[in-house]
Amino acid sequence: MTDLAAITALGESAPFRAEIGALTLIENSNLALASLSVPRGQNVPMIFEMTLPEVGQWQAGADISAFWTAPNQWIIEGHNRANEDFAELVKRAAPDCCVTEQTDGWVAFDIFSNDGSKPIADLLEKLVNIDVNALKTGTAVRTGLHHMSVYLIRRRDEQITIVGMRSLAGALCHALETAAMRLR
Amino acid sequence: MTRLSGGLIDHSAPVQFSFNGRPYTGCKGDTLASALLANGVQLVGRSFKYHRPRGVLSAGSEEPNALVTLHDGARKEPNTRATVTELYDGLVARSQNHVGPLNRDFMAVNDLLAPFFAAGFYYKTFMWPRAFWEKLYEPLIRQAAGLGRLSLEPDPDAYDKGFLHCDLLVVGGGAAGLVAALVAGRAGAQVILADEDFQWGGRLLAESHHLDEAPAAEWVGKVIAELSGLGNVRIMPRTTVFGAYDHGIHGAVERVSDHLPNAKGMVRQTLWRITAKRTVLAAGATERHIPFENNDRPGIMLAGAMRAYANRWAAAPTRSQSDPVAVFANNDDGHRTALDLLAKGIPVSAVIDPRTDAKRLGDYELITGVVDGTKGRLGVTAIRVTQNGSSHWMPCGALGVAGGWNPNVHLSSHHKSRPIWDANLLAFVPGKDLPAGMVVAGAAVGQMTTAKALRSGMDAALDSLAGLGITAKPIDLPRAEDTAVTQSAFWHVAGKGRAWVDFQNDVTVKDIALAHKENMRPVEHLKRWTTLGMATDQGKTSNISALAVMAELTGKTLPETGTTVFRPPYTGVSLSVLGGGDTGSHFRPTRFTPAHSWSAQNGATFIEVGAWLRAQYFVRPGESHWRQSVDREVLAVRGNVGLCDVTTLGKIDVQGVDAAEFLNRVYCNMMGSLAVGRVRYGLMLREDGHAYDDGTCARLAETHFVVTTTTANAALVYRNMEFARQCLWPELDVHLISTTDAWAQIAVAGPKSRELLSRIVDDFDLSNEAFPFMACAELTVCKGLRARLFRISFSGELAYEIAVPARFGNALMERLMQRGVDLGVTAYGTEALGVMRIEKGHAAGAELNGQTTAQMLSLGRMVSQKKDSIGAVMSRREGLELDKRRLVGFRPSNPAEVIAPGSHLFAAGTERTMQSDQGWITSAAYSPHVGSSIGLGFLEEGDVRLGEVVIAANPLEGREVRVEVVSPHFVDPDGDRLRD
Repeated sequence: MTDLAAITALGESAPFRAEIGALTLIENSNLALASLSVPRGQNVPMIFEMTLPEVGQWQAGADISAFWTAPNQWIIEGHNRANEDFAELVKRAAPDCCVTEQTDGWVAFDIFSNDGSKPIADLLEKLVNIDVNALKTGTAVRTGLHHMSVYLIRRRDEQITIVGMRSLAGALCHALETAAMRLR
Repeated sequence: MTRLSGGLIDHSAPVQFSFNGRPYTGCKGDTLASALLANGVQLVGRSFKYHRPRGVLSAGSEEPNALVTLHDGARKEPNTRATVTELYDGLVARSQNHVGPLNRDFMAVNDLLAPFFAAGFYYKTFMWPRAFWEKLYEPLIRQAAGLGRLSLEPDPDAYDKGFLHCDLLVVGGGAAGLVAALVAGRAGAQVILADEDFQWGGRLLAESHHLDEAPAAEWVGKVIAELSGLGNVRIMPRTTVFGAYDHGIHGAVERVSDHLPNAKGMVRQTLWRITAKRTVLAAGATERHIPFENNDRPGIMLAGAMRAYANRWAAAPTRSQSDPVAVFANNDDGHRTALDLLAKGIPVSAVIDPRTDAKRLGDYELITGVVDGTKGRLGVTAIRVTQNGSSHWMPCGALGVAGGWNPNVHLSSHHKSRPIWDANLLAFVPGKDLPAGMVVAGAAVGQMTTAKALRSGMDAALDSLAGLGITAKPIDLPRAEDTAVTQSAFWHVAGKGRAWVDFQNDVTVKDIALAHKENMRPVEHLKRWTTLGMATDQGKTSNISALAVMAELTGKTLPETGTTVFRPPYTGVSLSVLGGGDTGSHFRPTRFTPAHSWSAQNGATFIEVGAWLRAQYFVRPGESHWRQSVDREVLAVRGNVGLCDVTTLGKIDVQGVDAAEFLNRVYCNMMGSLAVGRVRYGLMLREDGHAYDDGTCARLAETHFVVTTTTANAALVYRNMEFARQCLWPELDVHLISTTDAWAQIAVAGPKSRELLSRIVDDFDLSNEAFPFMACAELTVCKGLRARLFRISFSGELAYEIAVPARFGNALMERLMQRGVDLGVTAYGTEALGVMRIEKGHAAGAELNGQTTAQMLSLGRMVSQKKDSIGAVMSRREGLELDKRRLVGFRPSNPAEVIAPGSHLFAAGTERTMQSDQGWITSAAYSPHVGSSIGLGFLEEGDVRLGEVVIAANPLEGREVRVEVVSPHFVDPDGDRLRD
C-alpha cells in the first residue's frame, strides 16, 4: 500500500456529498473502472460470471457491473475497488481482451432520491437532452451535459450515476449542484 | 378609475405598482396594461420616430405601442410589453423614448419634421458626404436607434435551461389547444401544453360566449384541473414556444419568476428545448386594425382587445367611465365589441362600418361610413365620421378598430413554408410543407368560431396521435358559439393625412405609397425601405395591412404581392436566457490537473490552455516580474532538477494485434519497429502532407502502446485515430481509448533528476545502462503505487516523465518536492517549459501551425519511404518538396535587442515586401542560458545560412532587429545531456 495520500477528483481528501431537497449527491470515489475491448473475431466473454450488456445498457453484478460504451467495448465497474489495480483484475478475468485502466479517468456522482423517481427526472431534464421516460433502470447512455461528455447510468428508479471526465469534476459538480438547488 | 365589475381578476386582492413614479393600484390577475387602463391611463409611451403619444393597442404579445421599461438598476429591462406583463406588488414601470415628461416630450418636435423622415430617409440622407459616415452619421443613428435604454450593467438574474421530450406538444392553451391536450392526455400520450399567457383559455377568456351554457372560464377550469391530474401531461403556463426547429425541436421560454414580487435567488426564466414527436399549433389569431388619418392616438385600440379588457380584466378603455366608446369595424366581429361593452355598462356612441349590408346586432347606432380623422393630443377625444360624403365630429373617449383577424401562422412557417391566401377569410393561413409532425388547429388555421376551434383541436390531436400509433378517442365537446363572421376587404381609409400602418416603426400609408413610387415594391424591399414589420413586434398587427395597401397600389392581388415567411423567435427572447445561465467562470467548463491545488498553494499563476488551466510560472517571495520567476525556473532545471505538471498532454492507449501496423500508418515515421520498453518521437501528418501533431509513442508490450499528443491536439488526434480505425482500416484489430485524465504525469528534468527519482522508485534500476534515454517501463513508486516512467526530454536535459493514477498526482508532486529539497528541486511552469524547448530547438504549436512540413522542421527524413502513412505521399509532392524554408535559430546581433515572434525575415538590404519575404520567427524568448533573446523560425535555405545576419522585421510595431542565423540547438547541440 502506497504511502501517498489520494485526493478526490475535486481535489479534496473526502468525497463530495450534498443533500439538496429530495436528492442526495455523492461523489463515488471508490468506483474502479476499466475498459474492456474484445479483439476481432473473438466471442464476447463472461466477466466475473456476468454477461456483458447490450447496446445502451448497464448490467449489474454482485460488486461488479458493466455498461456498454461502443461496439465490442464496455466499461467494467468495480464497486469499492478504486484502491486496487482493478484493470489487472479484469485482465485476469478476460486475458484475451484489451483492458485499460480507467479508474482515475472519470469522476462518478451517484444521485439518490428519497421521493421516488420524479426528483431525478426533474434534475435530468435540466441537465441532459435525454428523454427521461426512456431512461429506465438498466440504461446507460453517453450524452452532453453543460458542454461536457458524460455517461448516465440508471441503476434504479431512485438512483442515477453520472460519470464525467475527472479533470472536469469541478464543472460537473457545479452543474449538478446548481440544478439540484434550483429544484427546491 | 375605469374599473368595471366582474372579469377574471381578483377584486379583493389589490396590487400596488408604479408607473413613471406615480403609485397605482391594480388587482391580482391584471396585466400592467389592464391595470393602467383601469386607472384611466391611456398614454403609455411615445412612438419611435415621430415621438407621437401612444396608448395600448392590443391585449397580447402583438403589442407595438405599450412598450415600457421595467425595474431599476441592473435589472432594468427596456421594451417590455405592458400587455403581457403580469402585475405584482411593487412592480416599477416607466415609459420610454421621450425627453422630459411623457405628456410633454421635447422630441415631439420630430413630428413637425415628419416630411423629412419619409420612407428611405436613412438611405437617402446618410449617403454623403462619405467622410461623415463614421464620425457623424453612425453615432447619430446609433444614438437614435431603439426605444428603451439598457442598464449597461451585468444582468444580476439567474437563468436556466432544460430539455423536454413528448409525444405531443400543444402550442397554445385556448379552445383548440385545450381540447387537443385533453384528447391526447386521456389517450395516455406524453403531452406538453404551453401557453404564453399566465391564465389558461386564450381567447375564451376575452369573450362573453358561454360553453355549455356556462361562462367559458368554468369549462377551462375543469379541463385544466383534469390535465393537471394526469401524470402524462405537463402544463406550462407563462411559456412562449418561440421557434420550430429541425427534427421536432422547439425553443420555449418559461417565465419562472417574472411575476413574483420577491424573486430574489430564484431562476428568472428557463430556456426549454422541447423535442416533440408531433406538434399541434393552436396559437390563435391576431386582430388587425384599419389605417385612417391620425389613427394612432391613445385610446384607439383593437376592438377585440377592448372586449378582452372589459370581459377578462374588467377595465374600460376610456379615461373616465362616462366617456362613450365608438367602434370602427369592417366585419361582424367588431360589432361584438359594442355588444360586450354595452353589457358592461360602457356607453357606445356608434359602430361605424363601411359595409352597406352590415347589420346592427344590438342596441347601438350603426353608421354606414368610415372614420377618417381623430382629435385629442394625449388621448382621443373625438372622431371624424364620414358618411355619404359628409363628415361630422363625434366625441368619444376611445375607439375600437376591427379590421379582421390574421391566423398566427408564425411557427408553421419557420421551415420556410409559405402561408397561403384564404380569400373567404381575407387572411393568410398555414401553407403546405409545414415542419414535420406539425398540425395547425383553431383560429391559427382559420377556424374562427369557438365551436370550429374546439372541433379542430380535437381532430388535430386525433390525427397526430394516429400517426404515432396511439389510439385516442373523440371527446364530448362543449356546446359553443358557431356564428360565421362576415367581413369585407376594406383595408384602409383613403385620405391626405398620415394613416399609420405600423405603429411601432411609425410607417404610414404614405410611406408605402412612396416606396411604391420609388420601386421598392417586393415585400422584402418594402420592409427594408420603410422599416415596416421590424423591431420587437415584427409587424404582427401591420404586415397584412401593409401588403394590402401595396397590392392596391400595384393593382395586384394580395397573394401576388407577396407574404412574409416568419423566422424564430415568435416574440423577443432575451440573450440572457439564450445563454442558459452559465456566466463568468462557469461560462464554459474548466479542466484542472490533479496537482492543481498544489500549484495554487505554491504561488502558481495559471494560464488557459484550451479548457485546461496550467501553471504558467511560480512566483516566489521577492519576485515582482514574471521574467524573474521564469529565469529562476529555467536555471534551476538546467542546474539542478525541476518538476513540471504535464498531465494535460493527450494520452491514448493503443492495443491489439495490429496496433503496431496501425501506428505505422498513423505516424509518418516507423513505429512498428519500436522495441518493447522503448519510446520514440513521432510526427503525424495531415492528409495533405503537412505536419499536424507530434509526441511520443511508448511500447509497453508487444501489442500495447501509449501515444502522447500535444495538449491542444489531444482530442483531434484521438478523433482522427478513431476515424482511421473505424473507417479507413476496419480490418485492423486495434483498440483505442483515451487515458489523458486517468494518469497524472510529471516531468522531472535536470541533471539531478535521476537522483531525485531514485528516492521514490521501488527497487528499480535507473542507471543509464538499465534505463537509457528513450526507455519506458511500468514500475511502482512510493511503496507500491503503480506508475509508468518514460525517459524523455523536452528541455534538453536528462529528464523523465513519471505517470501515476490521477488521484495520487498531487501527493506525488508534494513528495518529489519534499524529497528534492537538498537537490534544489524547483517547480516550473509552461513559460519555463517554453523557454527550454526553444533553447533546445524543439518544435511546438507555433512551429506546427498547419502550414509547415516535416522537411521544414528538418525532420524530412522521418517520413519513412519504407511504408505508407497518412500524408506521406502528399508530403512528397513538388509544391512541398521544393519549399526551402528550414527551422533555424536566431540570436540578435546586439544582445540587448529583443526578437519578436511573428517578425518576418528579410535578407539585409532588401525591401520589406511580400516578394522578398524569406520566412518568419515562430517562437522567441529570453534565454537565461544564452543571456539574450533567442528565436526559432523558418528561413529560406536557413540550414545553409548559419552565421548570416538577416533582418527580423516587425512592421506592426515599426521595429527591426538584426539577427544572426544559428543552429536551433542553443543548448547541448550534441544531446550529451539527454543521454548521460
